[in-house]
Amino acid sequence: MSADDAERLGAIHRELHSHLPSEPALRVKALESLLVEKGLLDPQTVDRWIEVYTEEIGPKRGAELVAKAWTDPAFHDRLLADGTSGIAELGFEGWAGGHLDVVENTAKVHNLVVCTLCSCYPHSVLGIPPNWYKTAAYRARAVREPRSVIAEFGDRIPDDVEVRVWDSTAEVRYLVLPQRPKGTEGWNADRLAALVTRNSMIGTQRDLTSRVGQV
Amino acid sequence: MDGIHDFGGKQGYGPIDTGETEEPFHYPWEARLFGITRAYTRPVPFTLDWFRFTRETIEPAEYLNRRYYDQWLEAHEVIAVFGGAFTVEEVATGKSAGPIDGLPPPMRPDKVDAFKRVMTRYDRPSDAQPTLAPGDEVTARSNGAIGHTRLPQYVRGRRGWLEVFRGFHILPDTNMTGGEAAEALYSVSFLAADLWPEAAGRPDRVYLDLWESYLERA
Repeated sequence: MSADDAERLGAIHRELHSHLPSEPALRVKALESLLVEKGLLDPQTVDRWIEVYTEEIGPKRGAELVAKAWTDPAFHDRLLADGTSGIAELGFEGWAGGHLDVVENTAKVHNLVVCTLCSCYPHSVLGIPPNWYKTAAYRARAVREPRSVIAEFGDRIPDDVEVRVWDSTAEVRYLVLPQRPKGTEGWNADRLAALVTRNSMIGTQRDLTSRVGQV
Repeated sequence: MDGIHDFGGKQGYGPIDTGETEEPFHYPWEARLFGITRAYTRPVPFTLDWFRFTRETIEPAEYLNRRYYDQWLEAHEVIAVFGGAFTVEEVATGKSAGPIDGLPPPMRPDKVDAFKRVMTRYDRPSDAQPTLAPGDEVTARSNGAIGHTRLPQYVRGRRGWLEVFRGFHILPDTNMTGGEAAEALYSVSFLAADLWPEAAGRPDRVYLDLWESYLERA
Protein backbone atom coordinates (compact mmCIF):
# COMPACT_ATOMS: atom_id res chain seq x y z
CA MET A 1 0.00 0.00 0.00
CA SER A 2 1.39 3.37 -0.99
CA ALA A 3 0.18 6.94 -1.05
CA ASP A 4 -0.39 6.43 -4.81
CA ASP A 5 -2.78 3.53 -4.15
CA ALA A 6 -4.75 5.69 -1.71
CA GLU A 7 -4.93 8.41 -4.37
CA ARG A 8 -6.15 5.89 -6.93
CA LEU A 9 -8.84 4.65 -4.57
CA GLY A 10 -9.96 8.24 -4.01
CA ALA A 11 -10.08 8.83 -7.75
CA ILE A 12 -12.31 5.77 -8.27
CA HIS A 13 -14.68 6.98 -5.56
CA ARG A 14 -14.97 10.35 -7.29
CA GLU A 15 -15.45 8.78 -10.71
CA LEU A 16 -18.26 6.57 -9.39
CA HIS A 17 -19.94 9.60 -7.78
CA SER A 18 -19.98 11.43 -11.08
CA HIS A 19 -21.26 8.46 -13.14
CA LEU A 20 -23.74 6.73 -10.86
CA PRO A 21 -27.27 7.79 -9.87
CA SER A 22 -27.64 9.31 -6.42
CA GLU A 23 -30.49 6.98 -5.48
CA PRO A 24 -28.93 3.95 -3.68
CA ALA A 25 -31.78 1.61 -4.68
CA LEU A 26 -30.83 2.08 -8.36
CA ARG A 27 -27.15 1.45 -7.69
CA VAL A 28 -27.90 -1.71 -5.69
CA LYS A 29 -30.09 -2.94 -8.55
CA ALA A 30 -27.30 -2.28 -11.06
CA LEU A 31 -24.74 -4.11 -8.93
CA GLU A 32 -27.03 -7.11 -8.52
CA SER A 33 -27.68 -7.26 -12.30
CA LEU A 34 -23.97 -7.02 -13.04
CA LEU A 35 -23.02 -9.74 -10.54
CA VAL A 36 -25.69 -12.06 -11.91
CA GLU A 37 -24.56 -11.44 -15.51
CA LYS A 38 -20.97 -12.11 -14.53
CA GLY A 39 -22.00 -15.42 -12.96
CA LEU A 40 -20.96 -14.30 -9.49
CA LEU A 41 -24.33 -14.17 -7.74
CA ASP A 42 -27.45 -16.29 -7.29
CA PRO A 43 -30.35 -13.94 -6.38
CA GLN A 44 -32.08 -16.70 -4.43
CA THR A 45 -29.08 -16.85 -2.11
CA VAL A 46 -29.57 -13.13 -1.45
CA ASP A 47 -33.20 -13.84 -0.48
CA ARG A 48 -32.07 -16.58 1.86
CA TRP A 49 -29.47 -14.41 3.63
CA ILE A 50 -32.06 -11.66 4.15
CA GLU A 51 -34.47 -14.23 5.58
CA VAL A 52 -31.83 -15.59 7.97
CA TYR A 53 -30.90 -12.14 9.29
CA THR A 54 -34.53 -11.03 9.52
CA GLU A 55 -36.12 -14.08 11.12
CA GLU A 56 -33.42 -16.11 12.78
CA ILE A 57 -30.29 -14.19 13.72
CA GLY A 58 -31.15 -11.21 15.89
CA PRO A 59 -31.32 -9.87 19.46
CA LYS A 60 -33.59 -12.73 20.56
CA ARG A 61 -30.49 -14.88 20.54
CA GLY A 62 -28.64 -12.49 22.83
CA ALA A 63 -31.67 -12.37 25.14
CA GLU A 64 -31.71 -16.16 25.35
CA LEU A 65 -28.02 -16.11 26.20
CA VAL A 66 -28.54 -13.52 28.95
CA ALA A 67 -31.47 -15.39 30.47
CA LYS A 68 -29.44 -18.59 30.56
CA ALA A 69 -26.55 -16.76 32.23
CA TRP A 70 -28.98 -15.40 34.85
CA THR A 71 -30.43 -18.82 35.65
CA ASP A 72 -27.45 -21.17 35.23
CA PRO A 73 -24.43 -20.10 37.32
CA ALA A 74 -22.05 -22.60 35.72
CA PHE A 75 -23.01 -21.35 32.24
CA HIS A 76 -22.62 -17.76 33.45
CA ASP A 77 -19.04 -18.48 34.48
CA ARG A 78 -18.19 -20.29 31.24
CA LEU A 79 -19.71 -17.48 29.15
CA LEU A 80 -17.72 -14.80 30.93
CA ALA A 81 -14.52 -16.84 30.72
CA ASP A 82 -14.92 -17.52 26.97
CA GLY A 83 -17.80 -15.90 25.13
CA THR A 84 -17.12 -17.71 21.87
CA SER A 85 -17.42 -21.15 23.48
CA GLY A 86 -20.42 -19.92 25.45
CA ILE A 87 -22.44 -18.94 22.38
CA ALA A 88 -21.50 -22.22 20.69
CA GLU A 89 -23.25 -24.08 23.52
CA LEU A 90 -26.52 -22.55 22.30
CA GLY A 91 -25.74 -23.02 18.61
CA PHE A 92 -25.18 -19.31 18.04
CA GLU A 93 -21.86 -19.61 16.24
CA GLY A 94 -21.53 -17.21 13.33
CA TRP A 95 -20.46 -13.89 11.91
CA ALA A 96 -18.21 -11.87 14.25
CA GLY A 97 -18.47 -14.46 17.01
CA GLY A 98 -14.90 -15.75 16.75
CA HIS A 99 -13.61 -13.60 19.60
CA LEU A 100 -16.56 -12.70 21.79
CA ASP A 101 -16.05 -11.04 25.17
CA VAL A 102 -19.10 -10.83 27.44
CA VAL A 103 -18.81 -7.93 29.89
CA GLU A 104 -21.04 -7.93 32.96
CA ASN A 105 -22.86 -5.03 34.54
CA THR A 106 -22.80 -4.94 38.34
CA ALA A 107 -23.97 -2.55 41.04
CA LYS A 108 -20.66 -0.68 40.58
CA VAL A 109 -19.93 -1.08 36.85
CA HIS A 110 -21.83 -0.27 33.67
CA ASN A 111 -20.57 -1.33 30.23
CA LEU A 112 -21.23 0.35 26.87
CA VAL A 113 -20.15 -0.94 23.45
CA VAL A 114 -19.18 1.11 20.40
CA CYS A 115 -16.99 0.92 17.30
CA THR A 116 -15.64 4.41 16.67
CA LEU A 117 -13.73 3.48 13.49
CA CYS A 118 -16.40 1.53 11.58
CA SER A 119 -19.36 -0.34 13.07
CA CYS A 120 -18.16 -3.66 14.51
CA TYR A 121 -20.92 -5.58 16.28
CA PRO A 122 -21.51 -9.12 17.60
CA HIS A 123 -23.75 -10.10 14.68
CA SER A 124 -24.24 -13.78 15.47
CA VAL A 125 -25.93 -12.94 18.79
CA LEU A 126 -27.48 -9.50 18.09
CA GLY A 127 -28.10 -9.59 14.33
CA ILE A 128 -28.01 -6.41 12.28
CA PRO A 129 -26.94 -3.34 14.30
CA PRO A 130 -29.41 -0.49 14.71
CA ASN A 131 -28.79 2.38 12.32
CA TRP A 132 -27.97 4.75 15.20
CA TYR A 133 -25.10 2.45 16.24
CA LYS A 134 -23.51 3.15 12.83
CA THR A 135 -23.99 6.93 12.85
CA ALA A 136 -21.39 9.64 13.46
CA ALA A 137 -23.32 10.87 16.50
CA TYR A 138 -23.12 7.57 18.39
CA ARG A 139 -19.60 6.69 17.29
CA ALA A 140 -18.29 10.15 18.22
CA ARG A 141 -20.09 10.54 21.53
CA ALA A 142 -20.10 7.07 23.13
CA VAL A 143 -16.40 7.24 24.08
CA ARG A 144 -16.50 10.85 25.22
CA GLU A 145 -19.85 11.32 26.92
CA PRO A 146 -21.25 7.85 27.60
CA ARG A 147 -23.41 9.10 30.43
CA SER A 148 -25.12 11.70 28.23
CA VAL A 149 -25.64 9.10 25.50
CA ILE A 150 -27.27 6.66 27.95
CA ALA A 151 -29.36 9.52 29.38
CA GLU A 152 -30.62 10.22 25.87
CA PHE A 153 -31.85 6.63 25.78
CA GLY A 154 -33.60 7.22 29.12
CA ASP A 155 -31.34 5.89 31.90
CA ARG A 156 -29.24 7.80 34.39
CA ILE A 157 -26.00 6.21 35.56
CA PRO A 158 -25.32 7.00 39.24
CA ASP A 159 -22.12 8.97 39.92
CA ASP A 160 -20.56 6.14 41.92
CA VAL A 161 -20.97 3.63 39.09
CA GLU A 162 -17.92 3.26 36.84
CA VAL A 163 -18.76 3.41 33.14
CA ARG A 164 -16.57 1.21 30.95
CA VAL A 165 -16.76 1.95 27.25
CA TRP A 166 -15.54 -0.82 24.93
CA ASP A 167 -14.31 0.54 21.59
CA SER A 168 -14.19 -2.45 19.19
CA THR A 169 -10.89 -1.59 17.49
CA ALA A 170 -9.81 -5.20 16.78
CA GLU A 171 -11.77 -8.40 15.99
CA VAL A 172 -12.88 -8.86 19.60
CA ARG A 173 -16.62 -8.22 19.86
CA TYR A 174 -18.46 -7.23 23.00
CA LEU A 175 -21.83 -8.18 24.46
CA VAL A 176 -23.09 -6.59 27.66
CA LEU A 177 -24.61 -8.89 30.27
CA PRO A 178 -27.19 -6.62 31.93
CA GLN A 179 -28.25 -6.96 35.57
CA ARG A 180 -31.24 -9.15 36.30
CA PRO A 181 -34.00 -6.83 37.55
CA LYS A 182 -35.60 -7.28 40.94
CA GLY A 183 -39.06 -8.81 41.03
CA THR A 184 -38.14 -11.68 38.70
CA GLU A 185 -37.33 -14.25 41.39
CA GLY A 186 -38.49 -17.70 40.33
CA TRP A 187 -39.00 -16.75 36.67
CA ASN A 188 -37.93 -19.32 34.12
CA ALA A 189 -35.43 -18.57 31.37
CA ASP A 190 -38.06 -18.03 28.64
CA ARG A 191 -39.88 -15.40 30.66
CA LEU A 192 -36.61 -13.71 31.59
CA ALA A 193 -35.48 -13.63 27.97
CA ALA A 194 -38.58 -11.64 27.05
CA LEU A 195 -37.35 -8.88 29.39
CA VAL A 196 -34.00 -8.42 27.75
CA THR A 197 -33.77 -5.61 25.22
CA ARG A 198 -31.25 -5.21 22.42
CA ASN A 199 -30.12 -1.88 23.85
CA SER A 200 -29.39 -3.45 27.25
CA MET A 201 -26.92 -5.78 25.51
CA ILE A 202 -25.22 -2.81 23.79
CA GLY A 203 -25.28 -0.88 27.04
CA THR A 204 -27.40 2.12 26.04
CA GLN A 205 -29.99 0.84 28.53
CA ARG A 206 -28.99 -0.12 32.09
CA ASP A 207 -32.15 -0.76 34.04
CA LEU A 208 -34.61 -3.45 32.93
CA THR A 209 -36.90 -3.00 35.95
CA SER A 210 -39.54 -1.15 33.95
CA ARG A 211 -39.87 -4.23 31.70
CA VAL A 212 -40.89 -6.53 34.57
CA GLY A 213 -44.56 -5.55 34.48
CA GLN A 214 -44.66 -5.76 30.68
CA VAL A 215 -43.83 -9.41 30.02
CA MET B 1 -5.46 6.92 7.64
CA ASP B 2 -6.40 10.11 9.39
CA GLY B 3 -9.81 10.17 7.74
CA ILE B 4 -13.33 11.30 8.46
CA HIS B 5 -14.22 7.82 9.76
CA ASP B 6 -12.22 8.29 12.96
CA PHE B 7 -15.11 9.79 14.94
CA GLY B 8 -14.18 9.03 18.55
CA GLY B 9 -14.58 12.14 20.73
CA LYS B 10 -15.46 14.52 17.88
CA GLN B 11 -18.14 17.03 18.76
CA GLY B 12 -21.09 18.63 17.05
CA TYR B 13 -22.90 15.59 15.64
CA GLY B 14 -26.03 16.20 17.69
CA PRO B 15 -28.56 13.83 19.22
CA ILE B 16 -28.92 10.11 18.55
CA ASP B 17 -32.10 8.81 16.92
CA THR B 18 -33.22 6.85 19.99
CA GLY B 19 -36.73 6.41 18.59
CA GLU B 20 -35.57 4.34 15.62
CA THR B 21 -37.73 1.24 15.05
CA GLU B 22 -36.09 -2.14 15.60
CA GLU B 23 -36.46 -3.88 12.24
CA PRO B 24 -33.05 -4.92 10.87
CA PHE B 25 -33.36 -3.14 7.53
CA HIS B 26 -35.10 0.19 6.99
CA TYR B 27 -35.30 0.13 3.18
CA PRO B 28 -35.63 -2.83 0.80
CA TRP B 29 -32.38 -1.85 -0.92
CA GLU B 30 -30.51 -2.10 2.40
CA ALA B 31 -31.63 -5.69 2.86
CA ARG B 32 -30.79 -6.44 -0.76
CA LEU B 33 -27.28 -4.99 -0.53
CA PHE B 34 -26.63 -6.83 2.73
CA GLY B 35 -27.72 -10.13 1.18
CA ILE B 36 -25.62 -9.50 -1.93
CA THR B 37 -22.48 -8.94 0.11
CA ARG B 38 -23.03 -12.21 1.98
CA ALA B 39 -23.67 -14.14 -1.23
CA TYR B 40 -21.44 -13.02 -4.08
CA THR B 41 -18.19 -14.54 -5.24
CA ARG B 42 -15.45 -11.94 -4.81
CA PRO B 43 -13.85 -11.33 -8.23
CA VAL B 44 -10.67 -9.82 -6.74
CA PRO B 45 -8.66 -10.37 -3.53
CA PHE B 46 -10.70 -9.15 -0.58
CA THR B 47 -9.80 -8.82 3.10
CA LEU B 48 -11.86 -7.31 5.88
CA ASP B 49 -9.21 -4.61 6.34
CA TRP B 50 -9.04 -3.80 2.62
CA PHE B 51 -12.83 -3.36 2.74
CA ARG B 52 -12.55 -1.10 5.79
CA PHE B 53 -9.80 0.99 4.20
CA THR B 54 -11.75 1.38 0.97
CA ARG B 55 -14.73 2.58 2.98
CA GLU B 56 -12.46 5.04 4.81
CA THR B 57 -11.43 6.57 1.48
CA ILE B 58 -14.99 7.65 0.62
CA GLU B 59 -14.95 11.44 0.27
CA PRO B 60 -15.65 12.99 3.69
CA ALA B 61 -18.89 14.76 2.74
CA GLU B 62 -20.21 11.55 1.17
CA TYR B 63 -19.12 9.49 4.17
CA LEU B 64 -21.16 11.75 6.43
CA ASN B 65 -24.23 11.84 4.24
CA ARG B 66 -24.58 8.32 2.89
CA ARG B 67 -26.37 5.65 4.87
CA TYR B 68 -24.26 2.81 6.20
CA TYR B 69 -25.20 0.23 3.56
CA ASP B 70 -24.68 2.82 0.84
CA GLN B 71 -21.10 3.12 2.11
CA TRP B 72 -20.79 -0.66 1.94
CA LEU B 73 -22.12 -0.61 -1.61
CA GLU B 74 -19.59 1.97 -2.68
CA ALA B 75 -16.69 0.14 -1.04
CA HIS B 76 -17.61 -3.10 -2.82
CA GLU B 77 -17.85 -1.27 -6.16
CA VAL B 78 -14.52 0.51 -5.67
CA ILE B 79 -12.72 -2.70 -4.69
CA ALA B 80 -13.92 -4.43 -7.87
CA VAL B 81 -12.94 -1.45 -10.08
CA PHE B 82 -9.57 -0.99 -8.35
CA GLY B 83 -8.82 -4.69 -8.82
CA GLY B 84 -9.69 -4.53 -12.51
CA ALA B 85 -12.70 -6.90 -12.35
CA PHE B 86 -15.34 -4.31 -13.36
CA THR B 87 -15.23 -1.03 -15.24
CA VAL B 88 -16.99 2.09 -14.01
CA GLU B 89 -19.25 1.76 -17.07
CA GLU B 90 -20.30 -1.76 -16.01
CA VAL B 91 -21.00 -0.66 -12.43
CA ALA B 92 -23.01 2.32 -13.69
CA THR B 93 -25.15 0.37 -16.15
CA GLY B 94 -25.35 -3.05 -14.49
CA LYS B 95 -24.48 -4.56 -17.90
CA SER B 96 -21.53 -6.91 -18.20
CA ALA B 97 -19.03 -6.30 -21.01
CA GLY B 98 -17.79 -9.87 -20.74
CA PRO B 99 -17.32 -12.82 -18.40
CA ILE B 100 -14.52 -13.27 -15.87
CA ASP B 101 -12.77 -16.62 -16.24
CA GLY B 102 -11.55 -18.89 -13.51
CA LEU B 103 -13.87 -17.92 -10.65
CA PRO B 104 -15.88 -20.42 -8.60
CA PRO B 105 -19.67 -20.48 -9.07
CA PRO B 106 -21.78 -18.37 -6.70
CA MET B 107 -23.03 -19.63 -3.36
CA ARG B 108 -26.31 -21.53 -3.70
CA PRO B 109 -29.22 -20.89 -1.32
CA ASP B 110 -28.91 -24.30 0.32
CA LYS B 111 -25.37 -23.44 1.45
CA VAL B 112 -26.48 -20.49 3.60
CA ASP B 113 -27.33 -22.68 6.58
CA ALA B 114 -23.72 -23.87 6.72
CA PHE B 115 -22.13 -20.47 6.02
CA LYS B 116 -24.25 -18.66 8.62
CA ARG B 117 -22.42 -20.66 11.33
CA VAL B 118 -18.92 -19.87 10.07
CA MET B 119 -16.94 -18.15 12.77
CA THR B 120 -13.67 -16.66 11.55
CA ARG B 121 -10.79 -16.41 13.99
CA TYR B 122 -8.16 -13.72 13.63
CA ASP B 123 -5.62 -15.03 16.13
CA ARG B 124 -2.70 -17.15 14.99
CA PRO B 125 -0.32 -19.53 16.71
CA SER B 126 3.05 -17.96 17.50
CA ASP B 127 6.29 -18.88 19.23
CA ALA B 128 6.82 -15.26 20.21
CA GLN B 129 6.24 -13.95 23.72
CA PRO B 130 4.23 -10.79 24.41
CA THR B 131 6.60 -8.08 25.59
CA LEU B 132 3.97 -6.28 27.68
CA ALA B 133 2.12 -7.65 30.68
CA PRO B 134 -1.09 -6.81 32.55
CA GLY B 135 -0.54 -3.83 34.82
CA ASP B 136 2.09 -2.22 32.58
CA GLU B 137 1.67 1.48 31.97
CA VAL B 138 1.75 2.19 28.25
CA THR B 139 1.53 5.11 25.86
CA ALA B 140 -0.24 4.85 22.52
CA ARG B 141 1.87 5.78 19.50
CA SER B 142 1.56 9.41 18.44
CA ASN B 143 1.63 9.02 14.68
CA GLY B 144 -0.96 7.74 12.27
CA ALA B 145 -0.32 5.80 9.07
CA ILE B 146 -0.88 6.40 5.36
CA GLY B 147 -2.91 3.21 4.95
CA HIS B 148 -5.33 1.42 7.22
CA THR B 149 -4.78 1.39 10.96
CA ARG B 150 -6.92 0.70 13.99
CA LEU B 151 -5.33 3.16 16.38
CA PRO B 152 -7.90 5.94 16.81
CA GLN B 153 -6.72 9.52 17.06
CA TYR B 154 -8.31 10.12 20.45
CA VAL B 155 -5.86 7.83 22.28
CA ARG B 156 -2.68 8.68 20.35
CA GLY B 157 0.04 9.88 22.69
CA ARG B 158 -2.14 9.13 25.72
CA ARG B 159 -1.23 7.00 28.72
CA GLY B 160 -3.15 3.81 29.44
CA TRP B 161 -2.91 0.53 31.35
CA LEU B 162 -2.45 -2.87 29.88
CA GLU B 163 -5.31 -5.06 31.05
CA VAL B 164 -5.24 -8.39 29.17
CA PHE B 165 -3.08 -10.12 26.56
CA ARG B 166 -5.47 -11.45 23.90
CA GLY B 167 -3.11 -13.57 21.84
CA PHE B 168 -1.39 -12.88 18.53
CA HIS B 169 -3.90 -11.36 16.11
CA ILE B 170 -3.58 -10.45 12.45
CA LEU B 171 -2.31 -6.88 12.15
CA PRO B 172 -4.83 -4.81 10.12
CA ASP B 173 -2.16 -2.39 8.87
CA THR B 174 -0.54 -5.11 6.75
CA ASN B 175 -3.53 -7.45 6.33
CA MET B 176 -5.19 -4.67 4.36
CA THR B 177 -3.23 -5.73 1.27
CA GLY B 178 -3.11 -9.42 2.11
CA GLY B 179 0.19 -9.42 4.01
CA GLU B 180 -0.90 -11.51 6.94
CA ALA B 181 1.28 -11.00 10.02
CA ALA B 182 0.22 -11.75 13.58
CA GLU B 183 1.20 -9.47 16.43
CA ALA B 184 0.43 -9.38 20.15
CA LEU B 185 -2.95 -7.80 20.84
CA TYR B 186 -3.83 -6.31 24.20
CA SER B 187 -6.85 -4.84 25.91
CA VAL B 188 -5.72 -1.40 27.09
CA SER B 189 -7.74 0.89 29.35
CA PHE B 190 -7.57 4.66 29.42
CA LEU B 191 -8.95 6.78 32.22
CA ALA B 192 -11.67 8.98 30.71
CA ALA B 193 -10.26 11.90 32.70
CA ASP B 194 -6.93 11.47 30.85
CA LEU B 195 -8.73 11.74 27.49
CA TRP B 196 -11.44 14.34 28.02
CA PRO B 197 -11.22 17.45 30.22
CA GLU B 198 -14.91 17.29 31.14
CA ALA B 199 -14.47 13.79 32.59
CA ALA B 200 -12.23 15.04 35.44
CA GLY B 201 -13.10 13.30 38.68
CA ARG B 202 -15.07 10.50 36.99
CA PRO B 203 -14.09 6.85 37.55
CA ASP B 204 -14.98 6.01 33.94
CA ARG B 205 -12.64 4.21 31.54
CA VAL B 206 -12.41 3.54 27.83
CA TYR B 207 -11.08 0.13 26.72
CA LEU B 208 -9.50 -0.48 23.32
CA ASP B 209 -7.87 -3.54 21.76
CA LEU B 210 -4.48 -2.40 20.52
CA TRP B 211 -1.60 -4.19 18.81
CA GLU B 212 1.91 -4.16 20.24
CA SER B 213 3.32 -1.87 17.54
CA TYR B 214 0.68 0.73 18.51
CA LEU B 215 2.12 0.93 22.04
CA GLU B 216 5.20 1.98 23.94
CA ARG B 217 6.02 1.27 27.55
CA ALA B 218 5.31 4.51 29.44
